[in-house]
Amino acid sequence: MRGPGHGHGRIAAQGDPGYTKPMHEMGIAIEIYRTCREAVQEHGEGRLRHVKIAVGELSAVEPDLLSFGWEAVIADTDDEGAELEVEFRRADQRCPNCGESKDRSEGSWFRICPDCGAPLEVRGGDELDVLEVSFEAVENGAPEEQ
Amino acid sequence: METKTVTIRRKALAASEEQAVKLRERFAESGTLVLNLISSPGSGKTTLLESTVGRLADDYRLAVVEGDVATERDADRIRAMGVPAHQVLTSGACHLDARQIETALETTELLPAEILVIENVGNLICPTTYDLGEDFKVALLSVTEGDDKPIKYPAIFSRADVTVITKSDLLPYVPFDLETVKAHIATLNPSGVILVVSSISGEGIDDWCDLLVRRLEAKRRS
Repeated sequence: MRGPGHGHGRIAAQGDPGYTKPMHEMGIAIEIYRTCREAVQEHGEGRLRHVKIAVGELSAVEPDLLSFGWEAVIADTDDEGAELEVEFRRADQRCPNCGESKDRSEGSWFRICPDCGAPLEVRGGDELDVLEVSFEAVENGAPEEQ
Repeated sequence: METKTVTIRRKALAASEEQAVKLRERFAESGTLVLNLISSPGSGKTTLLESTVGRLADDYRLAVVEGDVATERDADRIRAMGVPAHQVLTSGACHLDARQIETALETTELLPAEILVIENVGNLICPTTYDLGEDFKVALLSVTEGDDKPIKYPAIFSRADVTVITKSDLLPYVPFDLETVKAHIATLNPSGVILVVSSISGEGIDDWCDLLVRRLEAKRRS
């Protein structure tokens, strides 16, 4: 696995050691890591422990693949082991005719009211946000002794 | 050891999105209509571009950014028609990023242009997430890919303002239900425009070029 700054890494699919594919979530994991490091630097210095992100159902990002990419990105850095907590967000889909929120079937992107067929108004669900960053604060670049 | 927790609420792709905002400002200043062309490999993006250049290059100043994993082939095809083109080689990455467009503008004299077409890396998934500062996304779907693609890869078809169904000259030979595809796309994207074209027979190319010219004029007025 190549480190950050090299674009997308390549992973072998399970059970098929010869198979490689570029992974969209890898590039996103790299960007999340950059965003987290910036946030740490703005508030001090130290080792990342925990990161909370929001991923919307319409963001075209697969949370499991993102977690896998995250581990690869932070491997061999000082932040290795930092947890990535993914908060999955559903889109709110409201029918302008019925005036109600509607549930689409799992994984469906169809923006049509299941009851009256009108196009649904979709709000949210496209989140890809870093919400919260926790880090072990250090002074003068060295970890504090307890 | 003190653990600090800070709430930041920042877009994960903030750096890339900030660059896209800057690009959009720059394109507004230069009065350039910018398209982000997205499709599977082999659906006819470069061929549609060649038809577009053939039709519009005499009257409009065009420029092209090509994104591919490897080779300058696509940019060479456009340059051979006398239009400036920059090739971005991603060496494995599956999409273009706004920072690569910025580099393309710095490296190659593409602006001022009236229409800049960015041909993304052939892929229906990853390019969907990345804003390149474009006015709108265009999804291409060739009839040989099969009519189930919009519902199998819904993100791009729901986000593209325009879907161009290509290789329509092959419709008699392949099981592709055009009406079903149109209905699926309309469901994914109720305000989207659907065009049916063939770069071989010329079907729909006028409509496509008219759409570009109308949108360029609308951008100039705004």
